[in-house]
Amino acid sequence: MKILLLALRSLRREWHLPEMRTLAASLVLAVVALGVVATLTARMERGVLASAAELIGGDLGVSAPQTIPDTFAAAGRERGLAVTRTASFPSVAFAQEQSQLLDVLATDTAYPLRGTLLIADAHGRQQAARGPASGSVLLDHRALVALHRQVGDTVQLGGRDLRVAGELIQQPDGGELVAMAPRALMNLDDAQQAGLLGVGSRARHRVLLAGEPAAVQSWHRWAQATALPQGGELITPEQTQERMRSAFDRAGAFLRLTALLSALLSGVAIALAAQRYARRKTSEISLLRALGTSRRRVFGLLLGTLGGLALPAALIGVLLALALSQAAWMFASQLFAGVPTVLPILPALAAAGMGIAVLVGFALPPLVRLADVPPVAVFRASLARRVRRFDALYLLPALVALALIWQLSGSATLAGILAASLGGVAVVAALLAALLLWIVRRIAPGGHPALRLGMAALARRRGLSIVQATALSPGLTALLLLAIVAPSLLDGWRQELPSDTPNWFVLNLQDEQRDDFSKTLAAMGGNQLNMMPLAVGKLTAINGQPIDSIHFKDERTKDWNDRQLRLSWSDELPPANTVSAGHWFVAHPAQAEVSVDTMWRDMYALKLGDTMRFNVGEGQLDAKITSFRHVDWTSFKVNFFLLLDPSHAQALPHTWIASFYLPRGNTEALAKLSRTYSNLSLIDVDALLDRVREIVQRVTGAVRWVLGFSLLAGALVLAAALATSGQERRHEAALLRTLGARRGLLRVAAACEFALLGLIAGVTAALGAMVGGWWLGRSVFHIKNFMPQPVPLLLAALLAAVVVMLLGLAGTRKVTHTPPMRLLRAE
Amino acid sequence: MSGGSRPVLEVRDVSKSVNGPEGRLDILSDVAMQVHDGESFAIVGASGSGKTTLLGLLAGLDTPTRGRISLDGHALEQLDEEARADLRRRLVGFVFQSFHLLPALTAEQNVMLPLELEGHADARERAHAALEAVGLGTRRKHYPAQLSGGEQQRVAIARAFVHGPRVLFADEPTGNLDRRTGRHVCDLLFALNRDHGTTLVLVTHDLQLAERCVRRVELQEGKLEPLA
Repeated sequence: MKILLLALRSLRREWHLPEMRTLAASLVLAVVALGVVATLTARMERGVLASAAELIGGDLGVSAPQTIPDTFAAAGRERGLAVTRTASFPSVAFAQEQSQLLDVLATDTAYPLRGTLLIADAHGRQQAARGPASGSVLLDHRALVALHRQVGDTVQLGGRDLRVAGELIQQPDGGELVAMAPRALMNLDDAQQAGLLGVGSRARHRVLLAGEPAAVQSWHRWAQATALPQGGELITPEQTQERMRSAFDRAGAFLRLTALLSALLSGVAIALAAQRYARRKTSEISLLRALGTSRRRVFGLLLGTLGGLALPAALIGVLLALALSQAAWMFASQLFAGVPTVLPILPALAAAGMGIAVLVGFALPPLVRLADVPPVAVFRASLARRVRRFDALYLLPALVALALIWQLSGSATLAGILAASLGGVAVVAALLAALLLWIVRRIAPGGHPALRLGMAALARRRGLSIVQATALSPGLTALLLLAIVAPSLLDGWRQELPSDTPNWFVLNLQDEQRDDFSKTLAAMGGNQLNMMPLAVGKLTAINGQPIDSIHFKDERTKDWNDRQLRLSWSDELPPANTVSAGHWFVAHPAQAEVSVDTMWRDMYALKLGDTMRFNVGEGQLDAKITSFRHVDWTSFKVNFFLLLDPSHAQALPHTWIASFYLPRGNTEALAKLSRTYSNLSLIDVDALLDRVREIVQRVTGAVRWVLGFSLLAGALVLAAALATSGQERRHEAALLRTLGARRGLLRVAAACEFALLGLIAGVTAALGAMVGGWWLGRSVFHIKNFMPQPVPLLLAALLAAVVVMLLGLAGTRKVTHTPPMRLLRAE
Repeated sequence: MSGGSRPVLEVRDVSKSVNGPEGRLDILSDVAMQVHDGESFAIVGASGSGKTTLLGLLAGLDTPTRGRISLDGHALEQLDEEARADLRRRLVGFVFQSFHLLPALTAEQNVMLPLELEGHADARERAHAALEAVGLGTRRKHYPAQLSGGEQQRVAIARAFVHGPRVLFADEPTGNLDRRTGRHVCDLLFALNRDHGTTLVLVTHDLQLAERCVRRVELQEGKLEPLA
């Protein structure tokens, strides 16, 4: 208790010291940076999840191929959740002599619980709506055109006459990837009474729920512990289909990256401030030791002082973080319009904990060493500065940094890449700085005395300069990654779905129709036509063993074993595919060969050289696995899990599948095309594309916002770090003024010194950010052919040199503007 | 207050006041003196008598509240801080009580500083020679923390003489040293002063040290009196 009081008294006395203020400011900034990013991240993750809920039409749900027992809905209602029931099935609609296969969603009037159902009335006025009332139906534009109907007309569906109550503009997607046919939305009771949902129907039933997060979680736990109906599965936002999920995964990785880099920046600032504080305290500690204070007591005193500083600073940080993230959300929430979220407190508190961990991790080594100052150092200061070649204690900041990287990255790959990039940059910066300083020292540069003085000063303070360059470089790398690489990664992501991404699929094209179809499509302005043969078959055996007799660990195989497989073939490796093992087909192999997608490889535990037997039509084909492929399923191109070698496969009975891009506004022409080629199935993926684009748009916008904040926090922390080291120069500048150095000379000398320091750090950081960015783009974000642009990075490196120079000059400004006499007295 | 040669330092009715927490405080009142070229001049006084303030004014580190100071014919009160810095660089050397060596620089680099400020290409050679002159030729690469107090002050003396100043200001040069070391340092200071023909202005409370100067004055409560 006594020691704590002593520590607090000491803190009060030392509060005026610049390094104490820097230490406190760094901690506040660290907590604010971590806290705001963590709070915003948590809130955005909720927003993103809520956005996913919009896709589903509810927060959670269950789906099954038969009617779902009432217990699922009842359990939701008991927890105060809103509940809706839906069923989707294909059905043919009739209108006078026209008929059209429709993709029908039957709902109750509570639908949708999340997201917006947008319809247009007969005058084209759009409005949000609920599931249709009994006796009415909503049809999308394609259905209206195909059936020659307008809003207000009647169509027959399931033997009932239903009034078209509106044109379906937008509906929560229901998790379906592809709308096979034009869409219709009808009342669930009508569908029930029309017998569309009876035994033998191909309906997929859903119960969707929405409400307070705690209640949703409670239902989720209940449902996980409850037996689902046969063939049933839970629908969660995280399980929305693959394309959406990859978007959310990437968003999460971006957000974690920003939080992590901010934390590391703060660590650098804290380490520099603590070092400075320890140096200043050395004489005081040696005096205390000489006066009989034990080493333990000294350590307790230092810890108490640090704690007395840390706790209020962390608290201020938490409050500021909460206030700032609340203010930030007011702007960022526009990206999640209509998604209500509350301000989460926990992330900011966790950030305070992490900030204190960073403070302890980075500040402790010099303070522990401070407690080791021998009492005799009171007579000779040099005894307090015994050089240690290696000190295990200094591994602590590295370990804290690694722990932070591990904790915040949530991914071993991201953690590894960041640790390697930042660590590598630090080493390269140290070596480069040492080399440049060696050169500067030996080849005294001619020219202006200020230049020579600045260079000489940098070279003479060799140790400190190397430490500064080494500390600045990872900080700048983090900043460059945030400022330059991350936005271009985001752009890379966006460019994966360019405006002419194929937005239509066509199925069932026959050999003899291919040429005509291509010409007709080209005449309509369609392009990006990608045609692949399609054979439908079944997997019957692996390595001669019947598939039904093999036990696979992966449950999904049961589903696949019963399904019709889509097989295709190609001379060349299709776009959006990469061979991950084995080799692509050689021309005319003796035995049939097959190339397998990596998901199938894992699901069926396949190896290169295994043989797969397929039944196609009347015949069968044994094909040896000669390669595994990684398929980018987000590419919106025609892709297959299984590709056969053409020489053996082309004789198989097949049709053609094609994807193409057709500008919007061609609905009439397409309806005509559909009638000309009546056997074709045309699939519109525009709606899905829009949805993915919207998600990417929302997430990139929000991530940019967080990036902007992290960048600001990083810049502030960096400025604090530079200000700490600026103290060293003040005494020197004061003395030089006394010895007659002009202000301008000191300024130019300091400018040269800081500019060189900034240049070393900047160039190293640019290289580090380029390598790290390329690596991140490739291994974490899976963005194809991503290469950070070197020119903006190098320009940023030069800018960094200028910024470091200006910050350094700002730190020494006070000195050059004060009469030397006062400075000398102040020292 | 007279001398054979022309005055290199002339002070007329100089006063210095500062505003402290308890109001205006007069540190120096109507100080007048002349120091001639090549002379050694001691200003003696108890702690708090205003010695260091006067030294700062004489060297152009600070400006008086009232009065005129001329250094080598230049009226200091008419010059701005930059012009005074130019003057200091060309004409003045300093020796401080607490040495004021830069801890990050070696002895040689500390001595090189005034030469580098003037852009001398042979700074290293001249610094080497200056350190030889104070008997520290073998300690060139040592840092201040690796030197004793006496050695540090010798480095400071080498730095003060290395660029051949006209006036050397010394503020309690032996204040932080034991008597024997102090005497050696003083011998060195006076010997170099004699060899270089420099004007020495010494501020001290040590009467024995002051007695080695040709002329002596005493500061009492901010006023200058002839030393009894």
